[in-house]
Amino acid sequence: MSEIPMRDIFGNFLVENAENYKNMVVLNSDLSLSTKTDIFAQKYPKRFFNFGIAEQNMVGAAMGFAISGIIPIVSGFSLFTTGRAWDFIRLACHDNLNIKIITTHGGLVGGDGSTHSALEDLSLMSSLPNMKIIIPADNIELIEVLKYTLNIEGPFYIRLPRGVFQKIHKPNYKFHPDKIDIIKDGNDICIIGIGYGSNLAYQSVLNLERKFDISIKIINLSSIKPIHIENFISEIKQHKGLIIIEEHNIYCGIGSIIARIVSEIYPKPIRILGIKDDFGQSGRRDVLLNYFGINNVNIENKIKEILNISK
Amino acid sequence: METPISEEKEFLTEILEIKKDILKMIWLAQSGHPGGSLSCVNLIYILYKKLMNIDFKNPNWKNRDIFILSKGHAAPAYYAVLSKIGYIKREDLFSLRKFGSILQGHPVKNEKIGIEISTGALGMGLSIGVGCALASKLKEKNNHIYVILGDGELNEGAIWEAAMAASHYKLDNLIAIVDRNGIQSDGSTEEIMALEPLADKWKAFGWEVIEIDGSNIIEIINGIKKSKEIIRKPTVIISYLIKGSDVSFMEHTQKYHGRPPNKDEYDIAINEIDKQINKLLGE
Repeated sequence: MSEIPMRDIFGNFLVENAENYKNMVVLNSDLSLSTKTDIFAQKYPKRFFNFGIAEQNMVGAAMGFAISGIIPIVSGFSLFTTGRAWDFIRLACHDNLNIKIITTHGGLVGGDGSTHSALEDLSLMSSLPNMKIIIPADNIELIEVLKYTLNIEGPFYIRLPRGVFQKIHKPNYKFHPDKIDIIKDGNDICIIGIGYGSNLAYQSVLNLERKFDISIKIINLSSIKPIHIENFISEIKQHKGLIIIEEHNIYCGIGSIIARIVSEIYPKPIRILGIKDDFGQSGRRDVLLNYFGINNVNIENKIKEILNISK
Repeated sequence: METPISEEKEFLTEILEIKKDILKMIWLAQSGHPGGSLSCVNLIYILYKKLMNIDFKNPNWKNRDIFILSKGHAAPAYYAVLSKIGYIKREDLFSLRKFGSILQGHPVKNEKIGIEISTGALGMGLSIGVGCALASKLKEKNNHIYVILGDGELNEGAIWEAAMAASHYKLDNLIAIVDRNGIQSDGSTEEIMALEPLADKWKAFGWEVIEIDGSNIIEIINGIKKSKEIIRKPTVIISYLIKGSDVSFMEHTQKYHGRPPNKDEYDIAINEIDKQINKLLGE
C-alpha cells in the first residue's frame, strides 16, 4: 500500500491537534491547497490567516503572533518561505521567537522545475543561530517531529517533500534530537541519510552488503540542527568511511556541515551525494534523482572509492 | 510668584532634556543616528508619557499597548525615553553602542526594559505590528499596537505587503506613525525614491490617513486620540517632522543622518537646546 503524502499528514495533524494546542494559529501565503493547510482553514477559520503571496509579511506577522504568546505555524513552499523571507526569519531567530516554519516542496519538486526547487533552503536556515532544523524521513517520524516542535519553545524549520517518503521507522518510533536514529546497524560503511537520503539508503543497502560482503549502518539524520555531536561521533567511529546523501546543493549543504564536524573530531573518508551546484529542472522525480546522481549506482561507486575497490 | 508650568510646557521641556541625552549618547559613542532620533523623539515621548496603556514596573503586563520602533536607527531616542519613563537607568544610556552594553546600536528585544522586538533591519516593523494586532483581536484584547516608521523605510516593499494585510484584516487596533522628515541616508526622499503623494498611497491601501505637524505635541495627542476612534480599518498618522530638530546645523540635512557630532558640535548643540529650555521656563 502506498504511503499518504507527507503534506496530507501535516494538514491532518494540524486539525487533529487544534484543540490540544489552542494557542496555535496557521499562517499561509496563498498555498493552502498545496500545503494541505486548507483543511485546518475550513475547520478553524478564525485561527487561519492567509497573507496572500507575501512571504515576508507572513513571517513578520508570525513574529507579532509569537511576541503575543501565540504559536504561529508558518506554511508555504520551502524555497519561497525560506528564501524570500530570510531576513525576517533571521530576526525571528535573533529574538529566539517561538515560530514554527513548516514547508512543503523541499528539494526537487518535479514538473514545476528549477525555479521552484528548494536546494538551498537548508544552508539558509542552518546559518541562523537558535534555529532548529528537522527533516522527517517518513510519516511516522513526521508526526513525532510535529509533536516535538509544538512542545519546545523557539524557532523551528521543518522541511517536507512535495510527495511521499516510504516508511523506514517502526510504529513505536520516538523522535529525540539528541538520539542518533539508527535505521540499520552495520560495521564497515556508514550511510548518513537526510530526508529522502535515508529512504534511498534503506532501499539499496541489502544488495550492496551482499555484493561487497560488508555490513552497512544507516543513520537517519533528521535533526540537522542541533546535531548531538558526541552521540553522532560515537556512532561513526568504527566505520571505514561515511556516505552522506542529501537532496540539496552540496555547497553549504548538510554534507559540508558533517564533513566539518568529522574532520575536526574523528577524521575519515567522506563522500557526499547531492546536487552538484545546480538549480534542478523539470521532470519526474525518479528521473531527476537519477540525473543528479542521487541513486543506488552512485552509493555503490562511493563504497568502491572508500574501500579502494577498482571495478 | 512662580507660574505653574502647563502640561504642554512640561512635555516640551522634557523632550528637550531627552534631546540632550540623545546627543550625549551619540557623542560619547562617536557613532549613531542623531538626525532621525531628534526628529521622532516627540512621537515616542508622547506615546509613552501620555497615551500608551503600559506599566513600566511590569513590562510584560498582558494587556499592555505594544510599541514597535520600526526605524530602529532612532534607538537613542527610544532608549532616552525609556529611561525617562523608568524602564532604563539613566547612567546606562551612556553605554550606548559599547561592548557589553544592553543598549546596542539598534534595539534588541529585552523584556526587562520593555523592548518587545529587535528592529533596525528596515521594513519589518509593520508586519510584526500586523501579527500583534491580529493576535490581540484573536485574544479579544482592547489594546493598541503602535508602529513608528521612517519615511525612507517606506521604500521597502514589505511595508506595502503589511499595509495590504492590515486593511484586509480591518486592523483598527493598529496605528502606524510615519516620521515624515523628508530626508533619508543619501538625501531627500523625493530625490532618492519619491514617496509623494504619500497620503494617497496609504488611502489607496485602505488606511485612514491623519496628517499632523509632529513638532506640535497637541497635534500628536489629538491625532493619536482620533486614530483610536477609527473602526474597521487601520490608521496611519503622517507626522511632518524636522530631521535633526532643535539643533540648527543638524536640521533639514542628511549630513547627520548617521554621523555623530564632534566635541565642538556637541557643545554648540547642547548650548542651543539649553537656550530653548531657558526660554520655555522663562515664558
